[in-house]
Amino acid sequence: MGCSSSLPDRSSGQLAGLNSENGGVSDAKNLRVKLVLLGDSGVGKSCIVLRFVRGQFDPTSKVTVGASFLSQTIALQDSTTVKFEIWDTAGQERYAALAPLYYRGAAVAVVVYDITSPESFAKAQYWVKELQKHGNPDIVMALVGNKADLNEKREVPVQDGIDYAEKNGMFFIETSAKTADNINQLFEEIAKRLPRPASS
Amino acid sequence: MEAAPSSSSTSTSTSSGGSVTFYDFLDRMRNPASLDLVRSIKSFIVSFSFYTPNPDNDGKKVQDFYLSMEAAIMEHPLWAAATFEELDSAMEGLEKYVMTKLFSRTFASVPEDAKIDREVSEKICLLQTFLKPEHLDIPAVLHNEASWLLAEKELQKINTFKAPREKLLCIMNCCRVINNLLLNASMSENHALAGLDDFLPVLIYVTIKANPPQLHSNLKFIQLYRRQAKLVSEAAYYFTNLVSAKTFIVDLNGKSLSMDEIKFEESMQAARLTQTNRATQIETSPTLQGQTDPTPTRMHDKEKDTSGGSNYPYMDAEAGELTVGDVERLLSLYKDVVTKYTSLYKVVRHLSISKTETPVPHSEGTSFLLTQPEGTNTKIDHQKGN
Ligand SMILES: Nc1nc2c(ncn2[C@@H]2O[C@H](COP(=O)(O)OP(=O)(O)OP(=O)(O)O)[C@@H](O)[C@H]2O)c(=O)[nH]1
Ligand SMILES: [Mg+2]
Repeated sequence: MGCSSSLPDRSSGQLAGLNSENGGVSDAKNLRVKLVLLGDSGVGKSCIVLRFVRGQFDPTSKVTVGASFLSQTIALQDSTTVKFEIWDTAGQERYAALAPLYYRGAAVAVVVYDITSPESFAKAQYWVKELQKHGNPDIVMALVGNKADLNEKREVPVQDGIDYAEKNGMFFIETSAKTADNINQLFEEIAKRLPRPASS
Repeated sequence: MEAAPSSSSTSTSTSSGGSVTFYDFLDRMRNPASLDLVRSIKSFIVSFSFYTPNPDNDGKKVQDFYLSMEAAIMEHPLWAAATFEELDSAMEGLEKYVMTKLFSRTFASVPEDAKIDREVSEKICLLQTFLKPEHLDIPAVLHNEASWLLAEKELQKINTFKAPREKLLCIMNCCRVINNLLLNASMSENHALAGLDDFLPVLIYVTIKANPPQLHSNLKFIQLYRRQAKLVSEAAYYFTNLVSAKTFIVDLNGKSLSMDEIKFEESMQAARLTQTNRATQIETSPTLQGQTDPTPTRMHDKEKDTSGGSNYPYMDAEAGELTVGDVERLLSLYKDVVTKYTSLYKVVRHLSISKTETPVPHSEGTSFLLTQPEGTNTKIDHQKGN
């Protein structure tokens, strides 16, 4: 379970941590979105979250990061901000039936698989179908092939991910929570794809 | 007047100062200028007595009422210069007032809810007899009886309050205790923080140890009657985790745990028998007890001093000694035992149901509206009303 990894990548481009607790107000310039992570056990969901959230903070001041409810605000180039409220789910089979409680009302679903595991890719497809059936109809979905650093053990070709995502209108990216590769990009790209409330 | 649950952490997502703001709300409502608001509140509350309970509809009605009152308060001269926080605390006061008044009408208002509460609680009682943290794969660094106990206590307070916000705070406080445990473990033991991976199992375990009263009804009540704008973010997340824990417990079977499935079934069965047995000793006459005590070893003991009644002559038998001729006798004894056990189980179940339904006493909410406040009027009315 331990997310053993190199030090958090702090050179995160145009991403800037923003910490104003705005009381949950969401407006055209400051979005607050619920993001849920789904995927087989062990694909790296929790590591992706921790990498994304902790990369923005001093890794020693863990107290700023809630142990289980994590959120992270990013600033986009057009000076809008998006606060991701991240709902991690437990991938273990014994908790699988509980997933709908977590993805209900989510604006974003990030479905993760492990590029070294075809079973986890199959499971990802199962979650996509679940979301299409029972999720919020406007949900923004991303398909993530994680553990891209293990390319020599790859069993799911990049093209399979690309094709499946395209067929299902999803954004696709391969990441590594271990090296931090593409982690920030994942969230930035999601932020760009969010429907914006009409500005008043 | 109940005390508001204290907010045990620095988190900003729940508004603070429960009772202070509630007194402030009551004060403003006593101001003649707010007569129109008072009228709306009063007629809304009265309107509820015209209908039979229908939780989903009731929830919707209350939520719509919150919204219309929010709009009215925002326009109201008394709140003309009010900040966002002041408006928010007025709304918190309103929620507390309305839901305290409507509590008995809306909490566990349909028989179905009481039934689920009972089932959840009974299942937890059984699980309590054998469930260990290991069965949920809770890592050793998180085995902390003191923290668990603290979290349980927070959860058990849930029926001390009537207002949805305060009930929700009990859940939040419980979850914060667990969070602190996770944070401390991650700092002192270098145990990697892993979000929900560790949180949910601990919450499930704590919920089982706590067996919080009327868990299902409390969750439903919060879901329906907490102002929707407030059941978001962190509050929604922790709330959902408790819903999730409850769902897990309800559906829990031999496959849900890190435990041999047969062992699980045996443990559940043993727990059922122990409970039946305990109830039997308390509730039934000695003769009946002697005949039907379902714990095998005890049955064996009692057999000797029970005059007449049924005999169980095979209790000391070994499989090798039995002959085909014994089958008929064994079968009839078996049927006899099962029949007795089944009817006893029904009786005991019935008894324990009526026992557990003793309601937890609630202090009545403050009344500023009703000209004849029911029974226990509170200090505020006397101090300030006159
Ligand atoms: N090489 C490599 N290992 C990774 C990567 N991401 C996660 N891991 C490892 O994969 C294992 C599982 O990661 P988690 O983040 O706990 O997986 P999860 O999806 O949260 O699993 P569940 O909580 O059981 O659903 C850990 O041992 C991580 O160290 C990655 O990008 N590369
Ligand atoms: Mg995880």
